[in-house]
Amino acid sequence: MGRFYDNNKVYVLGGAQTDFERNWTKEGKGVVALLKEVVTDSLDDVGISYDDIKVLNSENRVACFVGNFIAENYINQGHLGALLTEVNEAFYGVPSARYEAACASSSVALDAAISRLRCGDYDVAIVVGFELMKTVDSMTGGDYLGRAAFYEKEGQGIQLPFPKLFGKLADEYIAKYGLDEQRYLDALARISDINYGNAKRNPLAQTRKWFMDYEQASHRDTETNMLVGGRLGVADCSQVTDGAAVVVLASERYIEEHPGYKENPVVKGFGHRTAPFLFSKKMADNKDSEYVLPWTKQAVDDCYRRSGLTVDDIDCFETHDCFTSSEYAAISAFGLTEPGKEYEAVESGLIAFDGKKPINPSGGLIGCGHPVGASGARMFLDIYKQVSGKAGGYQVKNVRNAMMLNIGGSATTNYAFVVGRL
Amino acid sequence: MGRNVSAIFASFGHAKVYMVSRDIDKSESARDKAYQSVRAESVKNNMYPADYSMLEDCVKESDIVFESSAENWNVKSAVTAQIAEAAAKHMDECRNTVFCTGSSGLSITALSEIFPEELRRNYMGMHMFNPPYSMTLCEMTPTAHSNRELFEAAMDYCRSVLFRTVVEVKDSPAFLGNRIGFQFINSALQYAERYKDNGGIDYIDAILGPFTGRNMAPLMTSNFVGLDVHKAIADNLYQNTDDFAHEDFIFPEFADKLIAEGNLGRKSGGGLYKTVLHDSGAKIHLVYDIGAGIYRPVMKYTFPFAEAMIDAFHEGDYDKAFRVLTNNHSLEAKIGCGFLLKYVLYSLRATELVGYEISSADDAMAAGFNWCPPLAMIQAFGGTDSFATLCRERISPDILKRIDLANLLRRVEPSKYDYRRFVRAKR
Repeated sequence: MGRFYDNNKVYVLGGAQTDFERNWTKEGKGVVALLKEVVTDSLDDVGISYDDIKVLNSENRVACFVGNFIAENYINQGHLGALLTEVNEAFYGVPSARYEAACASSSVALDAAISRLRCGDYDVAIVVGFELMKTVDSMTGGDYLGRAAFYEKEGQGIQLPFPKLFGKLADEYIAKYGLDEQRYLDALARISDINYGNAKRNPLAQTRKWFMDYEQASHRDTETNMLVGGRLGVADCSQVTDGAAVVVLASERYIEEHPGYKENPVVKGFGHRTAPFLFSKKMADNKDSEYVLPWTKQAVDDCYRRSGLTVDDIDCFETHDCFTSSEYAAISAFGLTEPGKEYEAVESGLIAFDGKKPINPSGGLIGCGHPVGASGARMFLDIYKQVSGKAGGYQVKNVRNAMMLNIGGSATTNYAFVVGRL
Repeated sequence: MGRNVSAIFASFGHAKVYMVSRDIDKSESARDKAYQSVRAESVKNNMYPADYSMLEDCVKESDIVFESSAENWNVKSAVTAQIAEAAAKHMDECRNTVFCTGSSGLSITALSEIFPEELRRNYMGMHMFNPPYSMTLCEMTPTAHSNRELFEAAMDYCRSVLFRTVVEVKDSPAFLGNRIGFQFINSALQYAERYKDNGGIDYIDAILGPFTGRNMAPLMTSNFVGLDVHKAIADNLYQNTDDFAHEDFIFPEFADKLIAEGNLGRKSGGGLYKTVLHDSGAKIHLVYDIGAGIYRPVMKYTFPFAEAMIDAFHEGDYDKAFRVLTNNHSLEAKIGCGFLLKYVLYSLRATELVGYEISSADDAMAAGFNWCPPLAMIQAFGGTDSFATLCRERISPDILKRIDLANLLRRVEPSKYDYRRFVRAKR
């Protein structure tokens, strides 16, 4: 079977991310301001103007794909595809729609964009992911996020449902592999420390000025690292973030017309699998698998198969560390260790910034931040930056191929992409 | 301040920190609170309360000695003398020790001369801003005697280990950040007096509010730090500098009167502003009315230029907002625009005088004040050319004559800061 990118290649032209340190509510700015900034910055980055968009649109060759989880709650706004017409009149008439799969929303948007380019419908796709989360207090926000689980059974009336679900994931790991609890929790603390440390090199990371170390992350149930879900403490959690990320993709035909982009990287493969919605059913479903999250593993394997690559070919990863326990699970899903032996990759330094297989050089969701609807696009942009040598202070050396894993809900929607140089 | 700086060394630096004060109980309570400023209990284990009786041992054992006593020559020189005396007794252990002061404006060279000659070369200024966890600016000052290699190692330590935004500055009054900041703030205070019949203090703050590129309006900031601190910085600059903004540092008489009455600001329960509790439990925000000499409720000013700018920022139309500022010819818009232009010009000039790199002013104002930094402000005004044209139209001819505009703007480079995040869609 051929590789995903043998024909109808989809090129990554570039994009932009907002500064995740920013609190747009405190700045008094709304969603249109957020979108104007990120879309304008991304078009500047790729060298396409609003006038170019108008020309492309006159031939129906450009479309927009908006990823967002739950703006209806956070900012009382729906119909988000159409919202881009408020960004610039160049978007009048441009096909645009919103895609949603909880924290994997912008991966679905990317998937839709890639498919439309591959089948030849359009030649340029603008993928926008965003979330404004700082409009509400943390309890209210936590309740909104509960809608990414089965709300009636797993969210309603429960304080901070998601930390609890990923705390259960930690419990399941310890039980399934008979892990030494301390060793497992220490590995999680190291994952937190690595992500915060990596964020220090990323000028757009939310936590770049914050302090965290292994000592702080590994002492849980304290005033500054209180327990939030089972065995997990605050230091095990990703952030509540305002932010947006845009990726601009183009068809092979567009690259033939604009050969200046022909050295740009391409999408080499994807994987997309949906696991049982309820966390309890997920766990019941894994009893015959070596993996706690078999569908997450399957999405990664599908992506390897389509790209014709193995873990040996991937030079760095961006993963969905909504909690340290989810990054821990990603380690074996990527094939970096056997299932149940993930701690080895943490303890040996394999996944550290200067390790052989760095995970989250950007800082990930814990260090860089997690505006839920933007995270898939942000990861995609980051693996593009890594393979293009454009990651600045957090550039990993000699990256030819990079993989991302974006999950929605309690690892319910699972998306993997590989971006690489030809 | 010393407590929060200790937490920076103990956290990012992973350093064992002796917190020395006159009173061991105070040192202990400082240790117990310090971790809160960096939100990490783990740093508590790195902190050791001490008092002056233990100073000698602490100095002997430390790689860096950071003095953070009151900003007053008599106090600082006395504490420095004690440190110098302790160090002199342990010359071998202290040969490579960095001795520094957190002074915000005293002569670093004069302080260094309290040390014996062999140790004088190890002395430098290390001025952090409050609170240091969120304000990362660290102004570092070598003296005439400093060992360059040791000074650079200390700068590198602050930058890469403590994650400070390090700016090297000359040993000069108020260094760079406060010199630029208080040109603006003290001018605002002078304008409050000049326009006292238009409303004065809250009137000027309404013109220079968050939508002009800052978290807090300038006179609100003065009220926050205290008029006494404000006056000390302004007087120091007026007495010891002479540049085109010299007159801007004259501290207004009405404010002297407020200080004399003990109305310093937030810390004394009232100053330029005052908040009182009404019988109903509601907070009432008052402002000092310069003309009447009494406190009256803060007014809600509605200036068309400000409203239009705020609306434009809310929508992300930054160019439009700045066009409003430059095209609106109301008195308020002219005052606001003039302040921003002069802020940029003074930043560039101050950097020439006391800094080394043109980007230093940006680092100082972004990381020390959370104000839109000057080079970024030039971008907000549409770039160097539009900025220069605007200056020629708006800045008074005698200032233009003194500053050599073309030359001043020659060194301008694109800012590494994005101006958009600093301008708020808020009054």
